[in-house]
Amino acid sequence: MKPWLYVGLAAGLVPIQTTLLEHLSVAGIRPDLCLIAAALIGFFGGPVDGMMMGLLLGFEQDLFSAGDLGINLGTKAAIGLLAGLVGRYVAHVTPASVAPVMLGLSVGSGLAFVAAGAGGGETLTAIQSVLLPQALFDTLVGVALYWLLAERFKRDDSLVS
Amino acid sequence: MFRSTSGTRRVLLACCVLLLSLVFVLPKQSRTLLQAIGQPLADVVALPLGALSTGDRRVVDLWNSYITLRNVQEENRQLRREIEFLRGQAADLREMAAANQRLGELLRFQARTPSQSVAARVIGRDSSNWYQGVVLDKGERDGIRPEMGVMTLTGAVGRVVKSSATSSIVLLLTDPNNAVTSLVQRTRDEGIIEGTLGGKARMKYIPLLSTVRVGDPVVTSGLMGGFPKGVPVGTITGIQKDEGDLFQTADVQPEVDFTKLEEVLVVTVPRGGVEPATTLPVEKKKP
Repeated sequence: MKPWLYVGLAAGLVPIQTTLLEHLSVAGIRPDLCLIAAALIGFFGGPVDGMMMGLLLGFEQDLFSAGDLGINLGTKAAIGLLAGLVGRYVAHVTPASVAPVMLGLSVGSGLAFVAAGAGGGETLTAIQSVLLPQALFDTLVGVALYWLLAERFKRDDSLVS
Repeated sequence: MFRSTSGTRRVLLACCVLLLSLVFVLPKQSRTLLQAIGQPLADVVALPLGALSTGDRRVVDLWNSYITLRNVQEENRQLRREIEFLRGQAADLREMAAANQRLGELLRFQARTPSQSVAARVIGRDSSNWYQGVVLDKGERDGIRPEMGVMTLTGAVGRVVKSSATSSIVLLLTDPNNAVTSLVQRTRDEGIIEGTLGGKARMKYIPLLSTVRVGDPVVTSGLMGGFPKGVPVGTITGIQKDEGDLFQTADVQPEVDFTKLEEVLVVTVPRGGVEPATTLPVEKKKP
């Protein structure tokens, strides 16, 4: 199941992010599915899977974004790796403990974008109008998906290494 | 990652780490490498993207049809089916007629401008929240290259920043990282149009002695940015002139509604200007 899941995510996530997610946007902000996917793969599949899938999804995202090549690749790989380390070394990962991690990862990723000049010099406005709303959105969606997947893998342990 | 031997896994991991190190240590050089690796991948991902975009439009049409039917009273099942069918057909026909009209206008506009351009369809939005961009269904195979200007018959849209064989990414005028040289149509003062995070635009570096005022139309200057001269950019809605500043800055309301972009023209050869009588806003008389 795992290879097919990864292939499906690699083929479908970026097209969904660029087309369908527009309908879910709140005040122009959409959840970053690739960030959430990299983090969840890290939590469930371990740091190596998280980093490698983060790298692939980030690279694809870079190809369909107006930003410089490499920024999504780097941040998503780091997110997958960090989430994987949290999943491996934290004794009891629960939706409640995933929330601050997901929030931290999204904020960290956003700060990397701000540092790369994505806000065009309007740092404070970028943090208020993009970084924080997106971090909250990512956390909500990420925790909900984590909860659903955790329930699912209680019965079927096929993704966990 | 996949069910593989630990040796293959280590090689894959080493490749990933090497790639990441390259990105961080040699960012500019690695961009060329990433661009080369990314071209075929972008072409593959563009296939489901196009299909999803078409499917999405159909679902939206169906959803709209459902909304319009929601308040209709209970009727004969057969009649309802017929009405549904006919309405579906009518909606399809209306959509086709509207698309035909838009494309016809686009073609007439394309014929009027001396610049060479390629018509393209918007199939998606930027994959991150950090950039205001759109994805087009045409790329290098149709002659689209980075730095080319993108416009509709209403006005300037932005410029191409990335292109693969079958798709390209356009950075909109409203993105803070965009800069297009423009001029105030009435006073002929030049400045640079930049986006803001609020989804609007501002014109910077207007000379301090300029008599620019609210309501003045702004057009492209044709000097840089891949646009012909005279493409409408927007209208000035406010002016900031602080003491001690060397230049004035003006808030600009873009002509184009970027939330409703469907078809655009990519300017491949930006020579000459747009015919002012039919495409430019009417110039206000000098006082």
